[in-house]
Amino acid sequence: MSSEQTFESAQRELEQIVQRLESGETGLDEAIALWERGEELYRFCLGKLDSAHGKIEELATRVEAAKP
Amino acid sequence: MKVEATAYGDRKVFSVSAFNRGIATWLQRLPTVWVEGEVTELKRHPRWQSVFFTLKDPADGACLGVSMPRGQFDGLRLDLADGDRVHAYGRPELYAARGEFRLRALSLERFGLGDHLAALERLKRKLASEGLFSPERKRALPLWPRKVGLVTGNDAAAKRDVLTGIQTRFPPAHVVVAETYVQGPRAAGAVVESLRRLCEVPELDVVVVARGGGSFEDLLPFSDERLVRAIATCPVPVVSAVGHEQDTPLCDLAADVRASTPTAAARLVVPDLSELHERLERARGGLGRGARRSLELKTTRLAQAHERLQRAPALLLERRRAGLEQAAGRLRALSPKATLNRGYAIVRARETIVRSVADAETGTHIDVEVSDGRFGARVE
Repeated sequence: MSSEQTFESAQRELEQIVQRLESGETGLDEAIALWERGEELYRFCLGKLDSAHGKIEELATRVEAAKP
Repeated sequence: MKVEATAYGDRKVFSVSAFNRGIATWLQRLPTVWVEGEVTELKRHPRWQSVFFTLKDPADGACLGVSMPRGQFDGLRLDLADGDRVHAYGRPELYAARGEFRLRALSLERFGLGDHLAALERLKRKLASEGLFSPERKRALPLWPRKVGLVTGNDAAAKRDVLTGIQTRFPPAHVVVAETYVQGPRAAGAVVESLRRLCEVPELDVVVVARGGGSFEDLLPFSDERLVRAIATCPVPVVSAVGHEQDTPLCDLAADVRASTPTAAARLVVPDLSELHERLERARGGLGRGARRSLELKTTRLAQAHERLQRAPALLLERRRAGLEQAAGRLRALSPKATLNRGYAIVRARETIVRSVADAETGTHIDVEVSDGRFGARVE
């Protein structure tokens, strides 16, 4: 999984894979490859949801902190 | 009017009085103009020839002293109170006795709610004609902003509503708050500056401008032309949550999305975490179902092919048998047996069929085949 992948793009790709699989028009090897890719995307998205921590910061503090 | 100066050597020196009179005379050349401001420190005394008040600029607090002939002032029956917005028509003057600069007003008009509304309407039309409010300019909000900017007052309610809304709906949210003035003469400039600074924060993907409800005047800074333009040209999408549902400050029209309340703004800028989870699990369910279905489809096709393969040899035999029987029939039709039955005989000499007298020399042994068998004979 590339590091630039965002949750949004991973989720979109996952849903496209599901659509393709549900159409039943894929070859067997392709179906297996798609399923594996889908599982990978699912784990990536789940990881994103679980790993993100919330944060509230005040701009003034941040700007002052950035001063030398 | 000539202003006299006293000479001390090569230095020309004016008396205070002469200096003031000189300036006053010079100021009289300036034209009569309209000046807008808020009335404060109104002083009126029945014994005074003039009334005095200060005009204050609501934008930055700049002040201008004004005097007006008492008779004219009373004749207008304006019943002015501190903070009322007026348009004063007059010319600059210097009160020579005290060296005080002020506006000598000839006329005064209250600039009321109706005038505010008319001015707003004019500004709205102007900005609309520039396309600042057009639907094509509206940008979609990100599903999952990396950072959310929040411009708000320190007055708690609006700020708390947005932050609580965001954190409840999407605990992983990262919010950068810029507290600023959201009321009074400095508000518009302060909000513009906060927006600008927020947009310098890396990874900031969306901004919420939030302010609770207030009077028409309280919300006026959010219709300020500078602020409206800053929102329209903000590098990231802006959600405006200013005032109550029925208020429509111009910033609402320039924002990419207008939220009816600060809480509604929170719902717009972050996704619902539980919904995200559900959607993800749905997709995964679909993934498993899709893969199984793909497999089942292939299995069914394989089974069908296998069945046809198994039936193939029997089918082949059947076809062969039919062909054989057809050939046998044709063979029977061509057999000489029927001819023999009618009384003909086949004569062979040395296993060769005799077709000519020349084939049957006298004394030759021949075989005669008739319908029910064979017998031998000798040619004579």
